[in-house]
This record gives sequence, C-alpha cells and structure tokens, in this order.
Amino acid sequence: MSAVDGNDRDRGRDDGRGSRDGDAEARDAQGGLDRSLFRYVWRHSKRDQIMICAVVLASLPLYFASLDLPRRIVNEAIQGHAFEKGNPTTSFLVLRLHLPDMLGGDKAVFDGFDVDRFGLLFGLSVLFLLLVLVNGAFKYWINVAKGTLGERMLRRLRFQLFSLILRFPPEALRQTKSSELATIVRDEVEPVGGFIGDAFILPAHLGTQAATAMTFILLQNVWLGLMAAGVVGVQFVVIPRMRRELLRLGRQRQLASRRLAGRVGEVVDGIEAVHSNGTEAWERAEIGHRLFHLFDLRLRIYQRKFMVKFLNNLLAQMTPFLFYCIGGYFALKGQLSIGQLVAVIAAYRDLPPPLKELIDWDQQRLDVQVKYEQVLQQFLPERLRPTRTEGCDGALLGPLALEEVGVREPAGPVLEGVSLAVALPTRLAIVSDGTPSASALARVVAHRLAPTGGRVTVAGRDLSDWSSSSLARRIAYASVEPVLFPGSLRDNIVYGLNRPPPGGQAASRDAEEQRRIGEARRTGNPLDGLGDGWVDYVRAGQPDEAALDRAILDWLRRIGMGDEVYRFGLLGQVDPDRHPDLAARVIEARAGLRASLARSGRDHLVEPFDVARYNRQATVAENLLFGVPTSPAFIGRALAEHPVVRAVLDRCDLTDSLVLMGEQIASTMLEIFRGLPTGHPLFEQFSFLSADELPEYEAILARRTAVEASVARHRGSRLSKARRRLMGLERYGSADATRLIALPLAYIEPRHRLGLIDDDFRARIVEARGLLHGTLEATDEGGVDFYDSEAVCVAAPLRDNLLFGRINQSVADAAGAVTAAITETVEELDLADAIARVGLDHQVGPSGRLLSGPQRAAVSLVRALIRRPDLLVLDGALSPMGENRAKAVLGLLLERSGDERSLVVVLPSERAAGLFDVVWRAQGTRISVQAPEAGGTGAPETPGPDDRGEPGDGAGAGRGAAALSGDAMTEPGDGRAARPVLAGPPGNDA
Amino acid sequence: MTLETEVQSLRQVPMFREVDPARLKLLAFTSERVHFAAGQRFFDQGDAADAAYLLLEGEAAVTLDGPQGAIQVAVLGDNALVGEMGILADQPRSATVTAVGPTTALRIDRRVFLELLSQFPQIAIAVMRELAHRLELTNQQLAQTRAR
Repeated sequence: MSAVDGNDRDRGRDDGRGSRDGDAEARDAQGGLDRSLFRYVWRHSKRDQIMICAVVLASLPLYFASLDLPRRIVNEAIQGHAFEKGNPTTSFLVLRLHLPDMLGGDKAVFDGFDVDRFGLLFGLSVLFLLLVLVNGAFKYWINVAKGTLGERMLRRLRFQLFSLILRFPPEALRQTKSSELATIVRDEVEPVGGFIGDAFILPAHLGTQAATAMTFILLQNVWLGLMAAGVVGVQFVVIPRMRRELLRLGRQRQLASRRLAGRVGEVVDGIEAVHSNGTEAWERAEIGHRLFHLFDLRLRIYQRKFMVKFLNNLLAQMTPFLFYCIGGYFALKGQLSIGQLVAVIAAYRDLPPPLKELIDWDQQRLDVQVKYEQVLQQFLPERLRPTRTEGCDGALLGPLALEEVGVREPAGPVLEGVSLAVALPTRLAIVSDGTPSASALARVVAHRLAPTGGRVTVAGRDLSDWSSSSLARRIAYASVEPVLFPGSLRDNIVYGLNRPPPGGQAASRDAEEQRRIGEARRTGNPLDGLGDGWVDYVRAGQPDEAALDRAILDWLRRIGMGDEVYRFGLLGQVDPDRHPDLAARVIEARAGLRASLARSGRDHLVEPFDVARYNRQATVAENLLFGVPTSPAFIGRALAEHPVVRAVLDRCDLTDSLVLMGEQIASTMLEIFRGLPTGHPLFEQFSFLSADELPEYEAILARRTAVEASVARHRGSRLSKARRRLMGLERYGSADATRLIALPLAYIEPRHRLGLIDDDFRARIVEARGLLHGTLEATDEGGVDFYDSEAVCVAAPLRDNLLFGRINQSVADAAGAVTAAITETVEELDLADAIARVGLDHQVGPSGRLLSGPQRAAVSLVRALIRRPDLLVLDGALSPMGENRAKAVLGLLLERSGDERSLVVVLPSERAAGLFDVVWRAQGTRISVQAPEAGGTGAPETPGPDDRGEPGDGAGAGRGAAALSGDAMTEPGDGRAARPVLAGPPGNDA
Repeated sequence: MTLETEVQSLRQVPMFREVDPARLKLLAFTSERVHFAAGQRFFDQGDAADAAYLLLEGEAAVTLDGPQGAIQVAVLGDNALVGEMGILADQPRSATVTAVGPTTALRIDRRVFLELLSQFPQIAIAVMRELAHRLELTNQQLAQTRAR
C-alpha cells in the first residue's frame, strides 16, 4: 500500500511543478493503461523518442559522407582525377561556407592543405576511418539511449501493474492466481519493455539509413538506383508475406503433431476397445491420414522456407551482377565514374541488414501488441477498487448504523436486509451460528467488504465519506489467518504504522540519491527512499523507536509471548550498531555469569573459550577457527577444502592425523549404522555422515584397502613406491583425503567418545589456531568472526556471547543449570528487556512460517493494537491461540476498550457474549439484536491482569469471570483450568 | 574411557548379552555419558521416564518415598541398568535414584531406545527374553511366599 500512497502523495505535493504531464498522470491514477501499446509508449516517452530521433537525423549527413568518401578515394586519389591538369599537388580539406548571396556568397573558411597523390589518398582514407568511428559512436549512443528508454518504460509499466494489483479487491484475486500476476509483472512484460525502446526509433533509424543509402545510389545513377529499389521492393513485399505464411504453417504443424500424439495416446489407452471391436484397420487408416497431413504440411513448409532462402540468395547475388554488368556498361560509356561504381556497390551492401531488421521489427510489433493486450485484459479497470479517496478524518464515534445492508456472493446471499445500530465506542460481540454471515458482517463494519446493498453510517455520515487513508488508520481488522511478510517480528508488527516519511527527499544531498529520485520522476515511480522515517511513532503514541519497542514488548508479554521473544533474543545476534548499550553490557554479563557460576561451585558446567587452550566441549573445527564462520567457505566440508586452512594444517602436521581420524570415524559409522534404512531419524541425529554419503565413504575406504594390498604385494622396491606416487596411488587421493578430513571437523571427544584425540593433537590444533588466525588477519579476507573475551562476537548468538564457552555435556543436567544461571544473571543486570528487543529482530520467514500458529496470531494482533485504532475488529483472530490464552487475551482487550475505542469480536459461541455491551446474533442471513440478559452496559468484571502481564488470579467474582472461565473462544474442550494464562505459551499450565 | 569400554559394560547387562556388538556400539554411540556429583539425583519418584541409565563407575542408591520418609531399597554398582522398566512401560518413575559418590553413567534416551527396538528385532527379542525371565523369577518368589 505504502508505495502507492507515496506516489499519490507526491503527485499532490508536486502540483506546483506544473501540469506538463498532468493529464497523463491523472489517467494513470485512474489505473488506465492505454488500449494501444503505441499510444502508451508515445504518451510516456515522446520527449525521449523525439530526442533520439533527432540524433538519428543528425547522424545521417555523416553517414552519407561515409558513403560518398569511397567514390572520392577511388576517383580523386587512386585514379588521380584531382591531379588531371598536371598539378603536382591539390588542396585537401577545403571548407567552404555556403551562404546566400546577400550575405556575401560562398566564403572560404579553410583553404585546405596542399598535398600530393599519396597525401590525398592517406588523408581521405584517414577521414573515412574517422567517419566510421563517428558513425560507430552515434550508433553506440543511440543503442544505449534506446535501451535506457526501454528499461525506463518497463519500470513504469511494471510499477503501474503492481499499483493496479494493490487495488485488486480480494474477490477478484480469488479468481486470479497470485503466481499468474507475478508472472505477468516479471516475465510477460519483459519483451514489451524490450520492444518499447525500438517502437519508434528502430523504424526511424534504420528506415532513414536505408533511405539515405538509396538516395545516394539514386544520386550516382538513376538506373542503378531504380534497380536497387526494385530489388529492395521485392525483398520488402514478398519475403515478409512468405514468412508469415511459414509461421502459419508452422503453427498448424505444431497443432497437428500435438493432435497426433493425443490420438496415439487415446488408442493406447483404449486398446481394449480397438481389439474387441476389431477396428485396427480403421485406426491404421486414421493415423495414416494424419501422418500424410503432417507430411504435407512439412513439405509446404520446406517449399516456402527454401524458396525464401533461394530468393534471398538470388537477390543478394543478382544485384552485384547487375551492378557490375550494367554499372560497368555505364562506366565504360563514361556516364558513371569508377569511383561512383565502387561507392554504389559499397552502399548497396549496407542496404539489406537494416531492411531485414525492419522486417523483424514488424513481426515483433505484432507479437508484442498481442502480449500487451493480453496483459491489459487482466487489469481491466472495472475489476479494480477505486484509488485513494479524499474525505473527512473524524474519529469513529457516535452511532454506527447499518441500513438494509446486504452481501451477496456467487454462491448466494450471505447477509440480507440487515438494519442495526449501536453507539460507538462500544464492545460488540457478533455471535456466529456457523454460517459465514457473522464474519461477513464484521468485515462490512471493518470496511474490508463492500456491501452489495444498503449502507453503513457513523454519526449519520456514510462510511465512504471518510478518506481511505483515515479509515485504514482508524479501523484495524485481524482475521483467523494472519498475513505475515518475510522480515523480523518488529517489521511485521510496525507494518501497520508505515506511512511515507514526512519531510520528503529534498533534504538529500547525496548524488546517488538524487539520481534515484530523478529516475523515479521520469518513470512515475514513488520518490520516497526505503530508509528511515516510515514508522509513524505518533500514531502509536510513542516518542521514539526505543519507546515503541517497549510498547510492543509490553503487548507481547500481555498476550503471552514474552518468554518466546526473550528466547528469540538469546538465540539472536547482537548488532553493536543497533544495540550499542547491550553490546557493552554483554561483556559485563559474561563476567557476571562466570562469577555467579564460580560462586555457586558450578563453574565446571561451562568450559570457557581460551585462546591458549583446546576447548574439549567444542568441535575440532571450532577449536581450529576459534571463532564463528561468517562465510560459507569456512563451514563444514568447505572448510576442509579451504586452501589457507589446508596449508596451516600441513604446516602443523595435522593433515595426516585428521585423515586418520576421518578414516576411523568413517569405518565406525559404516559399522554401527549399517542396516538402518536410509533416511532413518537416528542417522540424521547422530551420524557424521548423511545416509547418501555412506556409499561414497565406503568406496573411499575400499580404495584404501586396495592400495594397501598392492603395497603389501610389491613391498620394498623404492622404484615401485615412486611409481605409485607418480600414478597418484598414495594411500589416498587428494579428493578422498579432503572428504576424510571433513569428518573429524565435527568431532567432540566427550560426546562421541571414539578416543581419537590426545593432548599432542590438542596442542597442535591450538598452534594451528594461532597460525590460521595470523594468516587470515594478514590477508584481511574476513570470513571468520574470532572469539575475543573482551568483545562481542557478532556472528554468534547472544546466548553464546553470554556463555563465552561451551556447556559441559558430560555433566548431568548441565544445560538446565546453565540456563537458570543465565536467567539469574540477566535479571541481576536487568538485561531482559534489551534481550527481548534483540528478539524482535527474529526473522519470521516467508508467510511467518518460522513461527508457530499462536505466535503468528499474537504478532497479527499486536500489529492491530499498536496502531491504537478507533475500531478493532477481531474475526477469529484469537482462535489460533488456544482456549486458555484466548480467554485471557479477550479479557485484556475488553478491559482496554469501550471508553474511547471500540471492540468488535466475532464469537464462535454464546459463552463469552455476556462480557460485551452489545450482542448481535447471526441467524442464517439475518442478524438479531439482543441486549445482554442482566441488562447492564456497565463494565463487566474481568480478571484484571496487572501491569507486568502476570496472570490475573481469576478469582474475580461475578458474571464476567464466570463466563470467562467457560470455553469462550473455542469449542468445548476438556473443560479444565479456569485460570487465564497471560504469560507463557499455551499448554504451559498442563 | 571410550565407546569400546561402554560396549563392554553393555555386554555385562543380561538384557544385552546376546545382542550383536555392532548394535551395542550403536546403542552406546547414540547414548550420552554423564557424570553425577555425590548426592545428585538421576531422577525422582513420579518423574516422567525419559531415559534409562547404565552405571559405568560409582554407585547409585534406589529409594522409595514411604509414609515414614524415604526408604533405601537397593544400592546399584557397576554395569547395573536402572530405569529401563519405566521407559518400556511409559510410566512415571517408581523410585528415586541418587548418586552415592561421584558417578558416571550412560544415559540411554527413551526415544532412541524405542527406535532401536523397532528397528532391530534382535534387541527387541533380547529385551523380551529378559523381561520374561524376570516375570518367571517373580512368579517363583510369589509361589514361595504363598507356600509359606
């Protein structure tokens, strides 16, 4: 939405800019793409098109001169016409200004150099070369300009299509697949964009070029000119026709052969019927007939195809023949100089390529126009919602009235003649009867669904009187299927606060930024950058980002996602730029955690990282790198292939040890995992090898055995050793060795217990660590974020940064104890909030797939709440949270609304209805009104959660609490636990 | 101590005596070796049964919570398997097991153990045989008690 909003807003802002393209832009705003591609192209790019055409025209005289020069070279220099009167020299480069007589007639600007024959030849030749270069430069500029123009138009077209997609009503999108629209924007308009650059310029460029060459020939000799024109005419008229015929035949053949395949398939599938009816003969005849048709088509294609070839060849060969023959005749008779003849032949060579391209252009034009029209069909204006409407921006307070509202769907009426009224602010329940009517009513109230009949008013004014941006701001709607976009938790929650940054782009002095804005202006794209300033803190009632984060966390905690966000934070990475305070305090907390563990005699639970010691609880790779890899070149098997790493391993005499370890690991894995079916979970969990690697390692070990056997047979002779080495028959080939080295990199002695690591190995790894560190620092390649006890390791999760070591896995229940110690330290240093803020950076994945259902629902709900809408409509938004949490959250929301803000909730059953001020009940396509039994619109007593988001004690007396303890939001479950849980995930109370 | 010594210990357990050494190695490899300090609980009576333990070094006391407080019913030594009934029956722990001194044990995860049982009938049969054996023993003891 925001991109389009920005665009529209800029149009508003740019009113003072003059209405040069005012009409066009207004039409764009209507969503209109012109019916004809050429009109669309012309409307948006006439200035560029005209400019490029002007350059094309400007290049023509030079092109003409380059055609004319060969004549002068042959005539004046080679044949010596310039020296005819016995002059030893002649003037070269005479520049004359031809002026009308009243201005003084011809004026010599430059009298030229005096040159001899060789001088003239070389001078003219150099001039010719110069002209070639200049013409090439013109071509280069024209091509670049054409490409740029096409790409700009493609950008505009894509952007317009995307803007139109944003205006699709959900009903229309149900009929169109999202992937289809995406394909249109990505693929189908691509050739259109490519063609746009050529649309006017290519015919202008090549046409005038061909015309120039033609004119030149005509000027030299009318007969030759007419002859060339005739040949060109044949090419231009006959060949495209034959080609079109060819295409038509090709399509026919494609269809016919597809049908043949279909028919053969039918016969095969129905072979039973063929046999039982004895109709083999008929089927044979039928297929034979089809084959003849195919043959006939192909024959006609060949005839035309090779006729085109023949004609092309003939014309190409015939014309020079005519030129030599007839041109030579004129030359002999003295009507044509030799130079002219050479020049004519050269000029004629320039004719066919542009003509061929023109013919191609024509075909492309037909193609692209069809494509453009197809795209257009998908974006007919009648299917679209109106653009942003202007209107009032009053608070949604006062009586909300529905007058004869009806909603009709293809399957039948959903709502009929609903006339209801309620005073806002209120707390309104719409009790569903299982039909879609309650949800439809909620969507009508939320302005998500336009009623097919009747109207909705607030304080006597139709809802459509409000501006669309105001409605979007004042109404929030959350449905049972939350829509999340890839990005962080925070991005998704503040999504509803996005609006184009105020102040605009004028402040930017950055040249690159200015260029971006300039391009956006030229292509009708939004001018706003994607940088900061999109979040509207005012609407959230918060002064800045930190306060907004606090408010978000507060809501998440109340809704019961606090612990999860904290855990996300511990697993998240601390970006020192974004969280400078936390980064500094992590080091403090690291020391605090260590001290706290030592105090309680639990320091054996964590083995700290120490640059001078091998960490027994970490893998060999981790000990080698002593850091966290940030580039894939240092992860897993790639590490074993990394040249720097291998060099260091060689120097520290580790390569052989690692190969040996790899061999032992491979043979152990082969032994103990043999017999497990591939893909068995035990494989994935425990084995060093994945199931599909087993045969590979089996082969490696088998090769070694073979080599060893051969060594045993030919023992002794130094010669045979050298021979083996030469033939690459060492114990392992280098590829095999690399594969084996990859295995022990993941080895941890206390966990895997194969007894492969001794103190000597550990010492050598620590030595290699220093060497590797030095080498990598020296090359300054990066790729590894090294551990440093005094700095945050950015690539490592926050939890690892706090630990700065590895948990001792051989102590029973060490992980639990360490987690408790971390929590203690975090509380002591009051870091929980800061860590939870890191948790807001947690990525939710495509469509929020990395979150659980309840988490997605919570994010969607907080997104609606943080905007502080006048009217919050929940249409099943709580049901993914599970029974107990839904109850608690509903209580919380009820408590917070009714005074200024309204709450509308679709309830699946009667149970919680008593808590609301007003209850509407859906019955089929009708809605009935019923005041709550015990008559009050007074605030129901709901369990009041206190400020820390702890669970209320649920003992609140009265109707409200009683109803809450029922199964309010979901179908009857096991009926236990009347305890509303606000903090902690669902099911924690089990 | 390496995997090999653990396999040796596993072979001392009657239940696994007949099982192929390669399978015992897999069982050992997929289990964790953990250390308990003196007095540290393996598990408490009533806990969910999530693992069985094979004592490799040290001793563990088995106690039952009674009305008069905890009663020690046994002390287990090297190569004793404890908690296997719980993971097979999927029932809460029937007793509390505590390390007497510093103790090392092989923790056999319930899920992994059941996975191995379903994958290798040989192990499953060995377990059944052992359980049948115990049942027979219990029957005999019952008969003797009745006869008295």
